[in-house]
Amino acid sequence: MAQLLNEIEWDAPLVPAVLMPEWETEAKQRYGRSSDYLRRVAPVPWLRETCASWMLCPRTKLPVRLADLMFLVVSQENACRYCYGAARAHMRMLGYSERVISQIERQVQLAELNEKDQAFIRFCRNLARSNPRPAHAQRDELIRLGFTQLEIKEATFLIVNHCFQNRVATFLACPPEVTYERLGRSFLGRLLRPILATANRKSIPFPADFAAPEGAPFARITGTFAGLPAAYLLDRTLNGAFDSPILSRRIKALMFGVVARMLECRFCLPESRALLRAEGFSDEETDACLASLSSPRLDEKESAILAWVRETVRYQPSQIQKRTRALSQVIGTEAMLEAVGTAALANSTVRTAMLLE
Amino acid sequence: MLLWLFILAAFLGLLAFLLKQRKQIRQIERLLDDTHARLERLQIHFSRFAPDDVVERLTEPSGDLMASRRMVTVLFADLKGFTAMCDHLDPELMLQILNGYFREMSQAVTAHHGRVTELTGDGLLALFGALEPNPWQAQDAVLGALTMREALVRYNHTLRLRSMPELEFGIGIHRGELLAGVMGNEELSKFGVVGDTINVASRVERLTRELAVDLLITEEVRAQLDTRFQLRAMPALTVKGKSEPLKTYLVEGVAAAAQPA
Repeated sequence: MAQLLNEIEWDAPLVPAVLMPEWETEAKQRYGRSSDYLRRVAPVPWLRETCASWMLCPRTKLPVRLADLMFLVVSQENACRYCYGAARAHMRMLGYSERVISQIERQVQLAELNEKDQAFIRFCRNLARSNPRPAHAQRDELIRLGFTQLEIKEATFLIVNHCFQNRVATFLACPPEVTYERLGRSFLGRLLRPILATANRKSIPFPADFAAPEGAPFARITGTFAGLPAAYLLDRTLNGAFDSPILSRRIKALMFGVVARMLECRFCLPESRALLRAEGFSDEETDACLASLSSPRLDEKESAILAWVRETVRYQPSQIQKRTRALSQVIGTEAMLEAVGTAALANSTVRTAMLLE
Repeated sequence: MLLWLFILAAFLGLLAFLLKQRKQIRQIERLLDDTHARLERLQIHFSRFAPDDVVERLTEPSGDLMASRRMVTVLFADLKGFTAMCDHLDPELMLQILNGYFREMSQAVTAHHGRVTELTGDGLLALFGALEPNPWQAQDAVLGALTMREALVRYNHTLRLRSMPELEFGIGIHRGELLAGVMGNEELSKFGVVGDTINVASRVERLTRELAVDLLITEEVRAQLDTRFQLRAMPALTVKGKSEPLKTYLVEGVAAAAQPA
């Protein structure tokens, strides 16, 4: 059940903010910003790149008001204290009153929204929760209410994008940006509202005509975003994650398999098996490993990651933070960071696969 | 002059009307806030009795909740000789021992993704995979039971130190399809599960007394476990309500790698 901001239990941060001058310069040049959040993921190149670039993914199809609502609804659904606080502040800066925000959080506003908006918010919550993932009928309902296929696809990417950031921030227990949250409520915040709102909605262009090459990890899932910058961003991230040398490729493919099994995804399991075949796992070995969450071929660190990753699908923040901290003690900070990123990516990819249903 | 007085009276009348309306709106808003707060508190308390998604669906306008068939692993635990123990112990002390026992056992179940759904006397019913899909439910139930075994050893140690009687339990685990949903009528209802799987788990738990062991699983559970689980086949025995003898396995232990991080 979605929690309110002050109900979320939040642990102390798992990793420090690391100031890496080269990355700071690069982030400011390419993305126009750096932040405490990005500094915490900085030691893993593909992860910091994803956290920075996905935040700036352009929204070309969906009305801006719905995209704003989505940020709040998904962050609340995922009980991410960091993102939820930021989303609230963001809404304040966009001119929403505290009362309206509070009503959206408590869902009472839903009764006053039109049928189209209500269906959209239900879709956001259901996809974020994925218990189970939204069925084809729910997408049909959105189409009937006037959404286009591309709008639904863009909404899907924005939701899984928030799910990704929510998971990274939650698993690492990133401390809330209290200054930013305070700014949303302050006189100065109200005064600077138009400037801040524009800055918050900033995006940068990415190619929209990208097609993932055959054989790329989870190419079939990436292909669902054809015609949107999301295809390029997801493919780049998947390649970055699987090519990173911090964790073995096989454990990352197994992590995707575990999440796919947990969410009963018939599209992602074959993709995981294909990746594992390239790593020397027969399909029988893969299935046995996913059925028991263990394999004699995995070392102690990989076994610990495999046992942990199932916890990343549905969780309570304080519990997953404790488990992630315990994992970090077994595998080390850098490996834990990559495991967190991979688990978040697996959750987003498998949720996206509902577009294939 | 009369016209001005009329305009002034109309203006004052309008002002009074608006002020009254504003006061009424504020009262309604306060009432609404109070109702929200009550609903939230109710949801929080209610979620201790039923899964969150059930509570959420029940509080939605449609308010209906269809029962659904789910593959579930059922763990049934009962204390051996507890009734006899009750005869010569102070009821308050007995309750204290029992509450401590349930606390330890519930923690063990929860740590392995299960949920204790019933406490009846000294019995405990836990479900794995009933509230959300769990492909590892059989493995989780057995690991949960093994953790319960360890927890009981620790709990008995603390009871011994306080010169209290030690406890002994029997656990039966079975897997099968169940009907899960809200049951009852307008006067009394609860979230629960029904089906033969629960009866079988309960019968298997009874077999632990006959076979003088503490943890038995059925063939359906064994089929879901891998080779790390150390099992010993027990003689098949006839149980109430079953025409064929029931084949069970004693769970002796598990290789360390199966324990979660």
